[in-house]
Amino acid sequence: MTSETLNGVMFTQMVLSGAHHLKNNAEKIDTLNVFPVPDGDTGTNMNLSITSGADEVKKLNSEDISEVANAFAKGLLMGARGNSGVILSQLFRGFAKGMEQKQSLSAADLADAFDSGVNTAYKAVMKPVEGTILTVANDAAKTAIEAAETEKDVTALMEKVVKEAKASLKRTPDLLPVLKEVGVVDSGGQGLVTIYEGFLAALKGEAVPKSDTDDIEMDEMVNAEHHKIAQDFMDASEIEYGYCTEFMVRFEPDKLERNPFDEETFRNELSEHGDSLLVVSDDDLVKVHVHAEYPGEVMTLGQRFGSLTNMKIENMRDQHTAIVSGNKNTAQREKTEYAIVTVAMGSGIKELFESLGASVVIEGGQTMNPSTKDIAGAIEEANASNVLVLPNNKNIVMAAEQAAELAGVNAAVVPTKTIPQGISALLAFHPESVIDENRQSMEAAGKEVKTGQVTYAIRDTKIDGMMIEKDHFMGLADGAIKASHKDKIETVKSLLAEMITDDDEILTILQGEDASDEDVKATEKYVEETFEDIEIEVHKGNQPIYAFIFSVE
Amino acid sequence: MSIELNTNDGQVTITNEVISTIAGGAAVECYGIVGMASKSQIRDGIAEILRKENFSKGVIVRQEDTHLHIDMYIIVSYGTKISEVAHNVQSQVKYTLSKSLGLEIDSVNIYIQGVRVAKD
Repeated sequence: MTSETLNGVMFTQMVLSGAHHLKNNAEKIDTLNVFPVPDGDTGTNMNLSITSGADEVKKLNSEDISEVANAFAKGLLMGARGNSGVILSQLFRGFAKGMEQKQSLSAADLADAFDSGVNTAYKAVMKPVEGTILTVANDAAKTAIEAAETEKDVTALMEKVVKEAKASLKRTPDLLPVLKEVGVVDSGGQGLVTIYEGFLAALKGEAVPKSDTDDIEMDEMVNAEHHKIAQDFMDASEIEYGYCTEFMVRFEPDKLERNPFDEETFRNELSEHGDSLLVVSDDDLVKVHVHAEYPGEVMTLGQRFGSLTNMKIENMRDQHTAIVSGNKNTAQREKTEYAIVTVAMGSGIKELFESLGASVVIEGGQTMNPSTKDIAGAIEEANASNVLVLPNNKNIVMAAEQAAELAGVNAAVVPTKTIPQGISALLAFHPESVIDENRQSMEAAGKEVKTGQVTYAIRDTKIDGMMIEKDHFMGLADGAIKASHKDKIETVKSLLAEMITDDDEILTILQGEDASDEDVKATEKYVEETFEDIEIEVHKGNQPIYAFIFSVE
Repeated sequence: MSIELNTNDGQVTITNEVISTIAGGAAVECYGIVGMASKSQIRDGIAEILRKENFSKGVIVRQEDTHLHIDMYIIVSYGTKISEVAHNVQSQVKYTLSKSLGLEIDSVNIYIQGVRVAKD
């Protein structure tokens, strides 16, 4: 339809079409919302605002375009919700003001009205943020003014406005860093484009444009969802649904006959399997993005309607760990003068080391030796000019020494062979001394402590002249087997009797996973009765394999 | 007065000035706000727009036990839905402070000190 003037009746149609189109896309726009507050309500807010405007227009039913525009502006103002809603109301307040007293508009008048809208909208903010709905409106209005010099047809003018609005929307990530970071276009801008599209459709006499599900939009929605997740979860263990699952289903007629597809029902079904759900469908395809714990089940649901294509499943716990440790490498862990990297098993021991000042604690120990690469990675993660490595196991000392050579920084290994040696060494650390002095004094401190370990035998054997039966407990003092008994406490008693001498003052007990509180009490009782001058300290080390680790000094 | 946060690595002290500036900065980026006003200027009947370095005159940070309250004195644009603008400011200030300082704000109270009518 070509026409050189625009009247109130036509504009009413435009408003209704714009509102309708926005309503259809509100959810999609919600998902794009990352600025200023990523609360995912832009589409909803804009929809509520424009619905209020459209209601006023419907009530009026006038041929006078300035009356219609005023009613629209008033409705928008009353119903404005959220930032984007308020901005929208200002755009159309100015729009209505720009055509005052006119009953119908020429193409040039329409362009002026758009321009007036933008001017008003910019006046109501102290610090306009570019890369938002304001920018999109501004670019579109400038194009309208230029185009109106030659273009007399209202529909053709609106077509140019929509085209520029879309182009401007694509540019928003270049103007607003947070959009670029997340990989989305501005949600408010998308809302305005949607409204303009609705306007254009009405001018052309078309039904509301179908929501187009091109790849870019889906990708952007997925990006925005992930951005929100990244903010919500600090810890990988908090992620309830571990797999980011994306796939498309190409509908097959015979399957659809058996299982008619309904987007809403399908979405509800999927929502029981996970969150961050996005479902977009058209006649041939449905695209799904969901974070689920069992991706297979979700895909089976989709497969009822057709064949699966473009499947992608990612483990978010892994990704999250990568992101978090990635952050540590660069931004979060500031470069320091000294750092200490240590190897330990058991959550309690890890905490103990951290509380004593270790920067990085690598998970590992007797049965799980970290590789040279693991240690080198930890040295790098520590991000310090000088790094001291405490291997705490004689099997790891070699790997640690290799890693220290590989490291780009000044790294040295204190060859501690047990956890207690590591703890004593760590206590001897002086941040003021140079690395070599520290290494020497820490090594010396480590040697002063005696280490006892209680564990169980995995097979019958004969070591150090002692017969040991499978499943019996063994007591080791500095690596040599000193006691073996089928009872845990008896083993502890004979081991401690072997280790503790008159010169010793402190016994530190690291309680392992396999030692109960009763075991600890029995040990304490025995020590108190047998060795009067010994002070006892108990820590929950939660280490596997070793029921007890003793440190005597 | 200042806010103190205890972390594993030691104490972080944030002065009210800092909170005011950040809260004010977040607020003026909100659509519909034309400026921050001073708390006490109302007695002259003129609400003057504060410059950035004086935001703290228009943002009052109150600490009651562990709760943080912020009072903001703002000037809005005529012809906007003021209740909604105020609401937007509240959510944006809350969000910005929690994101940049890690502070949870219990309430953001908005005082509209003036309405500016834009010249045509």
